[in-house]
Amino acid sequence: MKAFLGAALLTVFSADAGAQEESRPVTQQYRLEIGGTDVVSTYLSPLKYDGSSFTASGQWSKAFQKNPEHVVMQFDASATWRSMRNPARTASMIGLDAYFGWGMAYRHRFPGGFQVTAGGALDLSGGCLYLLRNGNNPVTALASAGIDLTASGSYKWRIGRLPILISDELRLPTFNAFFCPGYGQTYYEIYLGNHKGLAHCGWWGNRFSIDNLLSVKLDFRRTAMEVGYRYSLQTYWANNLNTRISTHSFVIGIIPHGLGMKRRRPNTNYSLY
Amino acid sequence: MKRFIHHKLLLTMAVVIMALSLSSCHDTPEYHNDYYGNFDALADIVGERYCFFAEKNIDWKQLCEQYRARITPETKYLELFRICSDLLDELKDGHVNLISYFNTSYYREWWSDYPQDFNLRTLQQYYLGFDYYQTSGISYKFIDEKIGYMYYPSFSSPISATSLDYILAILSKTEGLIIDIRNNGGGMLTNIETLVGRFIDKKTLGGYIRHKTGPEPDAFSEPYPIEYKPAADGHVKYKGKIIVLTNRSCFSAANDFVAVMKSLPGVRIVGAKTGGGGGLPFSSELPNGWAVRFSACPITDPDDKPTEFGIDPSPGCEVHSPDEELAAGKDAILDFAIRLLESEG
Repeated sequence: MKAFLGAALLTVFSADAGAQEESRPVTQQYRLEIGGTDVVSTYLSPLKYDGSSFTASGQWSKAFQKNPEHVVMQFDASATWRSMRNPARTASMIGLDAYFGWGMAYRHRFPGGFQVTAGGALDLSGGCLYLLRNGNNPVTALASAGIDLTASGSYKWRIGRLPILISDELRLPTFNAFFCPGYGQTYYEIYLGNHKGLAHCGWWGNRFSIDNLLSVKLDFRRTAMEVGYRYSLQTYWANNLNTRISTHSFVIGIIPHGLGMKRRRPNTNYSLY
Repeated sequence: MKRFIHHKLLLTMAVVIMALSLSSCHDTPEYHNDYYGNFDALADIVGERYCFFAEKNIDWKQLCEQYRARITPETKYLELFRICSDLLDELKDGHVNLISYFNTSYYREWWSDYPQDFNLRTLQQYYLGFDYYQTSGISYKFIDEKIGYMYYPSFSSPISATSLDYILAILSKTEGLIIDIRNNGGGMLTNIETLVGRFIDKKTLGGYIRHKTGPEPDAFSEPYPIEYKPAADGHVKYKGKIIVLTNRSCFSAANDFVAVMKSLPGVRIVGAKTGGGGGLPFSSELPNGWAVRFSACPITDPDDKPTEFGIDPSPGCEVHSPDEELAAGKDAILDFAIRLLESEG
């Protein structure tokens, strides 16, 4: 975990020649996301729990040194807290999960302010769902590592003198490895050492996930602000167990130093936009 | 430009359709929150996950049909609880409960149909003289110079390794130790490791555990060995003879403890057959919010024999303590254990 994070951050923030660095600034985005979530984890309960979710996330991106016009690299990190209740409101479930992703994308700019990117990312995520009243099966552990497809589309325009960017960012995990306990297996048995059948190869048939962020960014030059909507769905199917986490969130974010749309310097490759 | 928008729209639609279709491949059954819906949810949860149908020769589907027929339009909410709990009682399993805000069902016949063979007041008054040490949920005392005694009434009480060091160091001068776990209804399995580790010198097989691998009645994993390690160097171990006292109310983790102790050389089980409880329980719930608990993972003894129906005392060591004797201050099980250790000098 530490090695992955270290390598990813080092790559995004890697220092090269000073002059070159100035032409490829890191775009930092920090977001708070508040939304509704519903969860089914048949290891814990056959019922769908619903409640609220709170996410803090960050995104750091910059143009790639060897092809700054067309290649962008990006590091994402997020942590989410969920608090849910069962339909009869007699039991509570809490969830905590984190996501880290590092990827590269090819960028193509169209005339008229349109831009699309498409690429891939390595992702690492982990967390748990905890059903407070269960005895020997209180937790669904979530752990996954794999390769994502990423794509985005954005369009620049202005309201008066204020530059605005509308963007849609999509992440679609493809192949990965993930953890799932046995159908009726207790964590006590795992603690004893029975790890057979816990790790699974995932693809869209058993580990389908999608994350989509639609947002509007307002660039005030020194800083930019973002509002948006995120839909995310995570599903895990293994060992006859079904886990499904779906979230709709309102997103508000800040981009220190702005997006570079208001006063773009010549020969500067702003990371995403 | 239009072409780009068109492509983007198509891509988005394709992804959404794919998301909906793939994520719906593994839909879970949904139950209505009415009397039949809750009953059916209970029937399915237990039917798919309970682990002792074969051992108990239970036709679950037939039982469910029989009890479902008791639900009528006139059935009241409390009566539904009774119908569901009566159905669960058919499992004859002390690990099975239906839990609501107004009641928790519990099958009691696993112990109530048997003699108790124990009286705490008798023990404390006539054998411990209301004068004993107590730590980590364990009461202990010298019976005489050669016999030590410890009473551990619940495996839910965490055992501190340091406290256990003191207890065993204090009792280490004795030649025999009586471990009384009568009325111990179980608790945490990790406490068994802590305790057993003080009586073994090498890794010891304590039994096997299985789990269900799917909803089919015969879908079970291969048995996985439960092995106990000796306590780490520096901790006190007991080297003398050991007798474990049992009664019918020894259940669940206490039952598992007896199974492993019985397999150790030089250890004897004295008293009555234990109450069983050889299935590690899982929890689930019904649409109306009632929780259900049931045996899900069978645990067997070191010979891979079921422990669900209890563990017999060692040969020649079945003893009962009649209520009238206990009332008069005589505990026949404890007396038998003391005589056994004294006779072996």
